[in-house]
Amino acid sequence: MTRALLLIGHGSHLDANSSRPVFENARRLRATGAFDEVRPAFWKEEPSLARALDGCAASEVTIVPLFMSTGYFTEQVIPREMGLDGAVTVRGGQTVRYTPPVGAHPALARVIVARALEAGATAGDAIAVLGHGTPRNPNSERTIYEQTERVRATGRFAEVTTVFMDQEPAMGGVFERVAAGTVVMVPLFIAEGWHVGQTIPEELDIHGPSAREDGRRLIYARPVGTHPCLSDVVLELASEAARW
Amino acid sequence: MVSPALDGEVTVTMGELFLRFGADEAFLEGPGANPGEREIDPEPDAIREFARSDGRGRYRPLSGARTLPRNWHARFATLDALTAAVDAIYPLAFEHIAAYDEGRLRVVPLEDVLARQSGRYASASEISERGRAIASASLCAGCVRAPVWRGAGVTEGAIPCPEPCSVLVSLCREVAFWERDRPERREADPSCVYAAFEQPGNEIREHCLALLENSDG
Repeated sequence: MTRALLLIGHGSHLDANSSRPVFENARRLRATGAFDEVRPAFWKEEPSLARALDGCAASEVTIVPLFMSTGYFTEQVIPREMGLDGAVTVRGGQTVRYTPPVGAHPALARVIVARALEAGATAGDAIAVLGHGTPRNPNSERTIYEQTERVRATGRFAEVTTVFMDQEPAMGGVFERVAAGTVVMVPLFIAEGWHVGQTIPEELDIHGPSAREDGRRLIYARPVGTHPCLSDVVLELASEAARW
Repeated sequence: MVSPALDGEVTVTMGELFLRFGADEAFLEGPGANPGEREIDPEPDAIREFARSDGRGRYRPLSGARTLPRNWHARFATLDALTAAVDAIYPLAFEHIAAYDEGRLRVVPLEDVLARQSGRYASASEISERGRAIASASLCAGCVRAPVWRGAGVTEGAIPCPEPCSVLVSLCREVAFWERDRPERREADPSCVYAAFEQPGNEIREHCLALLENSDG
């Protein structure tokens, strides 16, 4: 039996940074030796979702979406483009296992906490988990709220709340949602691309790692997708899928 | 076609690349008359990063675009290392060449790819036959992959392309818009982002708009 891991990313036609975390995770996971081959595949880059399995000769393939929420891409686009029948697809002597996205796994809460601590969060601070959000798919927000609950359950921070970029509650109103003087906002995004690097800081009027507003402080953490521990979440997902 | 500068015994052309096999090592050379000008890191991740931008630093989302940086080479101690480097530049090229040669390449036409789109790209299927021809002519002419999905033959050095890529789907979406509501043409601006088809001056956009204009009436 040979094992392959396919890491799925969104990719971009316009921004080279979008797919870097996928390549970086592939490199890191290749180095673990846990799989005979580790390959990336993308919606908007190459190898494409539609053809990625052309390059997988392994008898067992595990597909892990590096997406932050369950929704349109994980439920519709990826299965359609890759010709998947569901969680397990058996075709031509090859078994393909399709896991939930990294963003939905309980272990991601550890990465959120790690990002918050790196940014300087202390016990008295508030953590704002920032999701993309979309009014088009209710499943998308559910994943983000579940991660917020997991971070809250650690008991490490005074307050933990959820805000979104593209839906309510909006990130711009974060100070109204918590009482703490310092809020550490952790983006549940994969890449330091257009949103994390440009649109979000612009909307929050934050130039640098932190900003002050009416005597309160907003710290903007790095996205969870570029944290080295994301590879551990992938390994956990793949390990769980192997038992299906 | 024989690569111009570095020593070696056998040379294979693949897209814009030359693969040269010497007695003790192999070379990969980029386009241009002086591959000896610059030696680059042969690690696949480094090669990929290098090939993701063109000579002007512009992002290359289409791996087969004939815009690789010029005048460079890399050395490899093993064929596996050379193969991994080529795969980093042209993903799946070896698999698709082998499948094509053996008559087992699964080919998917543009019509099927457009029909399965949803969300933002659902409107791409509204493109006319003429628009499809213009979009694929404008994009695929600058790509080293031969579009076997539209019946193209595979000449020496070309890589078979079994299925329209997401960049072409994105272009079809724009062309479908332009067929309904034609924007003004602008002078092509090589500094525009390669696949920013909504941006006036984008080279592929302006090429499509010119072909649409020429085919009117």
